[in-house]
Amino acid sequence: MQAKPNIILITADSLRANHLSSYGYPLPTSPHIDSMACQGVLMEKMFAAGIPTQPSHTTIFTGEHAVKHGVVAHGGKAKLARGTPFLPEILLEDGYTTCAVDTLFRERIWFGRGYEYIIDPSLHHLFYASVTQEELNARAFQWIETVPKTKPFFMFIHYWDVHYPYTPPDRLRGLFYPGGNPTDPDNHALDEWWDHPVGAMAHDSWLRTSNGLITDPNYVTALYDREIRYLDEGLAALQHTLERLGMADNTLIMLLADHGESMTDHRICYDHYGLYDCVLRVPMVIRWPAGKLRTGMRFAPFRQLTDVTPTLLEAAGSDLPEDLDGNSFLPQLRGEEEPTGYDRILGLESTWQAKYCLRNSRYKFILARQPDLLGNPDRELYDLEADPGEDHNLTTEEPKLAAEMEKELESWIAERLEAAGRTKDPVVEEGAVAIKIWQDHRA
Amino acid sequence: MKQEPQKDVQGGETPEPQPAPKTPEEPTQVLRPEDEALVAERLRDLGYIE
Repeated sequence: MQAKPNIILITADSLRANHLSSYGYPLPTSPHIDSMACQGVLMEKMFAAGIPTQPSHTTIFTGEHAVKHGVVAHGGKAKLARGTPFLPEILLEDGYTTCAVDTLFRERIWFGRGYEYIIDPSLHHLFYASVTQEELNARAFQWIETVPKTKPFFMFIHYWDVHYPYTPPDRLRGLFYPGGNPTDPDNHALDEWWDHPVGAMAHDSWLRTSNGLITDPNYVTALYDREIRYLDEGLAALQHTLERLGMADNTLIMLLADHGESMTDHRICYDHYGLYDCVLRVPMVIRWPAGKLRTGMRFAPFRQLTDVTPTLLEAAGSDLPEDLDGNSFLPQLRGEEEPTGYDRILGLESTWQAKYCLRNSRYKFILARQPDLLGNPDRELYDLEADPGEDHNLTTEEPKLAAEMEKELESWIAERLEAAGRTKDPVVEEGAVAIKIWQDHRA
Repeated sequence: MKQEPQKDVQGGETPEPQPAPKTPEEPTQVLRPEDEALVAERLRDLGYIE
């Protein structure tokens, strides 16, 4: 067996942690992912550093917080500096054959860095997120079977099934819907969503059915959950392929999401903005039998996606670049050290809203750099123990705590900017890049 | 911050899902090529895709 492991890094775009059975969801959406967790490690409290897709993936591949790398918005102006260390580039230099089954490089050039092979079956679709796990797997499996086995490989697979539009296979019809009338014209629960450009797009396309427009949020959520189930089948097929090829033991699989998804939480419908835990917290499951990871471990301390690159580099035996924001947790997965993590995390967004958040084990403070279009106050404070749904803003009841957390948040941002050599706050520079389109749509 | 790992993974033996009884209203959802084109066009307008 080769000394270095093969590494498969999997992103399930928009996969919300608490819609997986192994994260406590009451419906059986994820039998294979649950099985992976039993055979490896499940990260209980993993958080994105910046949302949505482009900021988060930039952090995943650089080990840098979005405040440092500066890519804070999806579709923003910032570009990743050429000299920033990038995971697949480092692995390529260290002897890995590198392959991406992904489309991100079409949107932002840095996502293609370091890959000897890029496979993109989404070219067969008008919208790349319509590509299915079956299409991705067909190409990925063929590549894995034929790649020379004299060197280890790194493969990145980016699944889009769980991202809107939610259009699961027809054979999954009937699953996860509690009953009712999906197209009741008298159900107006989603009416506010039509005022959002993404909601209007859904209204005019994938929510249309043979019976009329889908109006029941429970049915939309069932479609989302069916997509998880469909993705789960694809992940099981990947596992079976590795086993058939005799590669399952020394292949490290890290499954994660770039961000979660808001169902109708906080009046954010079926999208991924808002720094609430439904979007900021992400699932992560790691399986690597030959790496002697603890099996069935649920890793409880706070971690962030900044830790992906250092952890995978350590698994590959590579040297870590200096000054990464993230830290490897590989020795802790192996039981060589006790699990540790961060006592607080910093999150940001600059796409539909321009906001920061500071979260510790009990409280979250959210600070807006510009007013949002949902009418939320510029400052929000939540007690996550008493109010895990983040429904009751405590800024009026706990003004001293709110002021303390705001001061801590601003200090932390300032420290990060100074360490990164930045003179301007990137969230202020970008602003909420899509907000004008939303305003125009409403008008 | 240090914490002992727990080994009691829940959900490891997830049962196969049982399809709920189909309601008469269960619709047929079809994303036609023109619908996908509309999605792509709208997201391009938003700057979400190039």
